[in-house]
Amino acid sequence: MVQALASRAAAHDLDLVALAMTGDRAAFGELVRRHSASVRALLRRMGADPATADDIAQDAFLAAYEQIADFRGEGAFAAWVRRIAARLYVRRWRKATREALALEGSGETDAAEPPAVGADARLDLDEALKALTPSERLCVSLCYGAGLSHAEAAAALNAPLGTVKSHVKRGLDKLKARLGASSAEGGQEQESHG
Amino acid sequence: MAERWFEADLERSFAEAPYYPDVELFTARVTGRLDRGWAFRRLLIGSLGLVGGLVGGLELVRSGLIGRLDTLSTAARLVLENLGGPDAARGVHELMTSGATLDQRMLWMSGALALLAAGLLATRSLREF
Repeated sequence: MVQALASRAAAHDLDLVALAMTGDRAAFGELVRRHSASVRALLRRMGADPATADDIAQDAFLAAYEQIADFRGEGAFAAWVRRIAARLYVRRWRKATREALALEGSGETDAAEPPAVGADARLDLDEALKALTPSERLCVSLCYGAGLSHAEAAAALNAPLGTVKSHVKRGLDKLKARLGASSAEGGQEQESHG
Repeated sequence: MAERWFEADLERSFAEAPYYPDVELFTARVTGRLDRGWAFRRLLIGSLGLVGGLVGGLELVRSGLIGRLDTLSTAARLVLENLGGPDAARGVHELMTSGATLDQRMLWMSGALALLAAGLLATRSLREF
């Protein structure tokens, strides 16, 4: 028993997925243990409150178990579950808001003006996301957190592609203002090393 | 180029997750829901199997089981008599041709299958509950 637990803990994600496909729920439990944090964090970053985020994350893992035969191992398991979770959240968000994303536009007020960022600013995504409007946050999270393309995000949100693109662009601009300095410097450093 | 670096950094940041101290609790909740779901499914499948078995049993009784048992016992007696003799195969032949019709053989097979199913159900129940 202890040996089985230890071997599961050391197993690669793909091996655990293969075990879960045969109905090994303990193997799937190990996958949940490993990746629940990134799924829960994504949902919170999309704008869900902690309790809702945890509910949806649980539903996402249950859905992943049901659909595990569809996982082809082409990408990371965590990314696959994050996509499922993101879609579940969007479905709930659409039901709750009952209004199109397109209604939100440039007139939307910014949550906060980005403060000046020093060269040694710490990359704090969660704090930076608070500067975005809910729609911008959702679109940016869908595209950069769940790995959806702009077109996929637009389809999930039932919104025009142009609207999603503009939300993403505005969101990125705001994030760049907060996080960009440290990130760009890191990139330039790596380029000069290369 | 800085744009691409920023976007790649952003994707990495999204993939990184903070540590949640209740990770074990969360995992237990998910696996608990999974277990409950599977227990419910097994119960549903078992119940449907039981109902199907009962319906099948009733149909067997309604098909004239009691009346046919008399014929079957006669055939069985014939077999026993012939098995005592030099040619046992002849006794079996008698059973096939005289007493036991195709319906009766089907009846025996159904009975055997029902017993097998009951045995499987019993062992499964012992393992699950």
